[in-house]
Amino acid sequence: MATPSSSPAVPQAGAPGADAPVAGTSLWKDAVKRLRKNRLAVFGFVVVCLVVTASLVGPWIIERATGYTYDYIPTDPALVNAQPPFTAPDGSFSWLHPMGTDDAGRDILARVLLGGRISLMVGVISTFVSLIIGITVGATAGYVGGKVDEAIMRGVDVLYSIPYMMVVIVLLAFFGGRSAIGQLVLLFIALGAVSWLTMARIVRGQVMSLKSQEFILAARATGVPASRIILRHLVPNTLGPVIVYATLTIPSVMLLESFLSFLGLGVQAPLASWGSLAADGIQNIAVFPWQLICPGLTMAVTLFSLNFLGDGLRDALDPQMRKG
Amino acid sequence: MGVLALALATASAACTAGSADSAYFGKVTPPTGQEMRYISGSEPESLDPSMSSSQPDARIIMALFDGLTEYDPKTGQSVPALATAWEPNEDNSGFTFHLRAATWSDGAALTAEDFVYSLRRGLTPALAARTAYMAYDISNAQAYNEGAVFARDDATGRFVMDPANPTERLALPGDEAARATLLATPAMAIARNKRYVAVRAEDVGIDAVDAHTLRYRLRQPVPFLPKMVSHQFFRPVPQQAIERHGDQWTRPGKIVVSGAFIIDTWRPYDVIALTRNPLYYDAAVVRLDRLVFYPIEDLTTMMNLYKSGEVYATFNHTVPSSWTALVKNYKDYMDAPELATESFVFNTTKGPTTDVRVRHAMNMSIDKVSLARFRRTVKPTTSTVPLNMFPGYPSPMGDPFDPVKAKALLAAAGYTNAAGEYDPATFPVSEMEITYNTSESNRSTAEFIQAQWKQNLGVTVPLRNMEFRTFLQTRSRLEYRGIARSGWIGDYMDPFTFLSMYMFEGGENGSGWVDSEFQRLLNDGNRAQDPAERYRLLALAEQRLLDAQPTLPLYNNATNYLKKPFVKGMWANPVTMHAWKFVYIEHDPSKWDDAN
Amino acid sequence: MARFILRRLLVIVPMLLVVVSLTWGLIRVAPGNFYSGEKKLPAAIEKNIREKYGLDKPWYVQYGRMLANTARGDFGESLKYPGTTVNSILATTLPVSATLGILAYLLALVVGITAGTIAALKQNSRVDYASMAAAMLGISMPNFVLGPTLVLLFALRWYWLPPARWDGFSLHLILPVLTLSAVYMAYIARLTRSGMLEVLRSNYIRTARAKGLTERDVVVRHAVRGGLLPVVSFSGPALAFLISGTVVVERIFALPGLGNYFINANLNRDEPLIIGIVAFMSIAVLLFNLLVDVAYAFFDPRIRY
Repeated sequence: MATPSSSPAVPQAGAPGADAPVAGTSLWKDAVKRLRKNRLAVFGFVVVCLVVTASLVGPWIIERATGYTYDYIPTDPALVNAQPPFTAPDGSFSWLHPMGTDDAGRDILARVLLGGRISLMVGVISTFVSLIIGITVGATAGYVGGKVDEAIMRGVDVLYSIPYMMVVIVLLAFFGGRSAIGQLVLLFIALGAVSWLTMARIVRGQVMSLKSQEFILAARATGVPASRIILRHLVPNTLGPVIVYATLTIPSVMLLESFLSFLGLGVQAPLASWGSLAADGIQNIAVFPWQLICPGLTMAVTLFSLNFLGDGLRDALDPQMRKG
Repeated sequence: MGVLALALATASAACTAGSADSAYFGKVTPPTGQEMRYISGSEPESLDPSMSSSQPDARIIMALFDGLTEYDPKTGQSVPALATAWEPNEDNSGFTFHLRAATWSDGAALTAEDFVYSLRRGLTPALAARTAYMAYDISNAQAYNEGAVFARDDATGRFVMDPANPTERLALPGDEAARATLLATPAMAIARNKRYVAVRAEDVGIDAVDAHTLRYRLRQPVPFLPKMVSHQFFRPVPQQAIERHGDQWTRPGKIVVSGAFIIDTWRPYDVIALTRNPLYYDAAVVRLDRLVFYPIEDLTTMMNLYKSGEVYATFNHTVPSSWTALVKNYKDYMDAPELATESFVFNTTKGPTTDVRVRHAMNMSIDKVSLARFRRTVKPTTSTVPLNMFPGYPSPMGDPFDPVKAKALLAAAGYTNAAGEYDPATFPVSEMEITYNTSESNRSTAEFIQAQWKQNLGVTVPLRNMEFRTFLQTRSRLEYRGIARSGWIGDYMDPFTFLSMYMFEGGENGSGWVDSEFQRLLNDGNRAQDPAERYRLLALAEQRLLDAQPTLPLYNNATNYLKKPFVKGMWANPVTMHAWKFVYIEHDPSKWDDAN
Repeated sequence: MARFILRRLLVIVPMLLVVVSLTWGLIRVAPGNFYSGEKKLPAAIEKNIREKYGLDKPWYVQYGRMLANTARGDFGESLKYPGTTVNSILATTLPVSATLGILAYLLALVVGITAGTIAALKQNSRVDYASMAAAMLGISMPNFVLGPTLVLLFALRWYWLPPARWDGFSLHLILPVLTLSAVYMAYIARLTRSGMLEVLRSNYIRTARAKGLTERDVVVRHAVRGGLLPVVSFSGPALAFLISGTVVVERIFALPGLGNYFINANLNRDEPLIIGIVAFMSIAVLLFNLLVDVAYAFFDPRIRY
């Protein structure tokens, strides 16, 4: 049977070190230093930066260079069909469409890059929102316990059980606004509404397990306020699973977004996200495989890199690792 | 990396599986016996012919219940079935059908009384059948279905007749408050202070003259009635089974049928298996022993099941348009014009589209030939009634593709700059949206149209997709901005099924357009004795519709589906309703390429 | 502990009330109705339908009827499929969804925990990178891509396995179970790895090591239990969702499960069916989360209720 160790309290995140007058700065400085030593994490960081930059300026460059935009359907009917990557209409090699074209003759590269803007924004913002809500709710429930915990977690259970589709349909009916910005805000509300639930459960489980450890008991005994204990001591110690779960949340919200666009929420065609490009591509996988491979690969590479970055961050922020 | 490897593997799999040495798509292994396996679309809502309202249901009902007439398996026109012959009265307002000797699958005789029972049941308000409106042209049918009352003069014992149609009794609302309001209007003075008696089932205009003679009395001429009665709503249902089992009567073991097959197994969302009905009147021609329907909705899944040889045919529109390039070279590919028109409607009640010039301009600036080419399996059209579907029908043509004229029209509508020339910047695109219900093909079409308007008019109309039921409400309440998707599959083989969409007030067509002259032409057409004269009048009505342009016809669909070569007796017809009794499995490969 | 469980079971009643009431409210305010079609129905037919299903009654009568039905556990007849009761739909689809969900989750647990533990023990080794890369692949490959890809290879290229459809316990299960479990496998592997890493560095493991226990005993008897906490947290909702059907896999493989019905019920505004499935689902969520909370106490003796 595992017994709590008799050794003194585990060092805490932000504990004052000999060389650091201000704890917070030291934490981040140290983390960045460690992160830079992690080659995979650096690689991940570089790729993510590249993808972000390409998504931001790529469509503009392509339009200047070739005239293609995400919604440009060629006027020549002969060009309105799917072309494989690097292939001209006559079958010879061409740089015009490095990712080929879709059924309407649109340049897939332009669509993938523009889709990246949407998917990355959706993935990162929604995950951030779910992190904030999930950690706050989960840590509170786990730390306070008792009736509060009971009430919060039953509330979470209710949210799990309400038919999500109906919520989205109703949201759209009432607020399905006129403006594109309104649609986007609605999308984040819809995505944020679900993605924090499991996060909250995970944080709560961790906090419940941590709160009887000596360093927390010690902090409580010395009269540190609850909010400070949660923020300074408990949350940093749950960051491992939380960061891992957050990196898992990014792909799942990206895919959820393509489901919501089925209900009419989110960006409107001809704009497409990575999720919806992949969903379209899969139908044609036996016929025009590049329509799946190109967006799918871009998405996979980005997620891989984000994940390496996430792992690196996890290790860098890990209070125990720092001790070594 | 892994994704790439997998994708490359699948890509090569795709190429090899569709190898060029075979004339057929995927596995071609006929079953050992006479078993047909067919993908019928969504899970049927109901297999009660009176209750069902959707095509997937109708495909299965075709095997279970026969009608007075049936769809010809090759042309979709009506052919004799339970009725062997029929004749109209002098003005097409009454029809007499002569029935063959037939029995239900439990051995009971199927007589004219069964038709009378079935129609009365179908119109019962408490049953709330959705397709009951199909029968509204039968005398007093609408009044009975609406729970209306007749006005009777106690002194004379006579009913007050309808001033608009003197051969019919006047029907008043069953609800007292609504009736009082109506009676207060001057035109209804004739119906005041009478005894109001509820319309009964017996009042509906259907009579069993004798066991094998059935007569319909109609409130107005309906020359296409023999075509209409192929619709499932008119098919007879077994009184004995319904009275015994209530709404469970269509379940295996309880169901009694009049058609070639009877349900053996029904597992929702999984399978509906039918076996032969030995008591079917035409049992001698039936060759299948087993007919299996799979309710499946996902197109890729259908293609997979078909290719691996697990199913032998699919229902219509099942080949994704991007697959046609690959599939159409195989002999499996079945293609024929379909009784359907895909179109958009304009909101004629608000925004720029209230102006008929704007509607014409938007129609003219879409290159429908290119659109059809892009959609691959369809034929371009500028008319509402499908082209070349009805021999002798002089289809009027709508506007041809003409972007120059379109711009001129928009300029005339006031979208001009200071110099009086057409200026796209003045066109209020913010008040327009191309609204459609979510589906891959609707989206492709909408995107293409958006690009056309961008190229030809210089305006970018935003797209907006909605989930189906939200879309239906938005369209029928005319809450959409500018343009909404609309499509119609004909209920029966007559131009009227397309034109009647625009006949009544209340936004049935979603455009808000109503025109009394259009209605008059249609009514006159239906009263005409000479079929050629009728078609001429209907075509005049269609011309009026196209002139007013509440609708934007795009293309006529085709029935693209797949069928294994060993499935015989199944043809691509415009209604894509298959007469299952003629379908069989040909085990001799040398006969697979024969014409039928 | 017994009192805790009893209290939680009692909570199910008010929870169910809240969930079905909220759901019912949502259906009422959602646009559209179950009987609308491409062609608008004449007003009289619409009125007949509304009367038949009691939609003409005041809202509190309809609400009361729904509550009474829920209390009796008999949700009535589906609106979309007249003549078919919601209970019969639950009875036929649940075994399918449950079989699929449980098999997939078991597979995911076995593979995920094994891979995650090995990766944690050999942190930053090739095994670690390989299994985590595979896990990431599982996560970034959505099941609507993985399913058809597996089908294309195993069913359409080599003709080894059937491409779709349900046939009880048979070869038909292999591809859907694989497709369904891939993402969970990946989640579990990653959560296990991070949980284990956390635990392996904690004091009690150091103590256990210091006591001279073999590495095997340390891992199996001590580390795994603490390291699996995140997996346990994740499992409650995951299992509840899996059992109540997964629409994508059901559609790709044409399986008669609950998920397909549920999505269509939402799209069709089929009130009794939605209420029935939601009631079932909320009970499943509550029970599984209760199981999870009980499991916490087992996995981490420091947690007390």
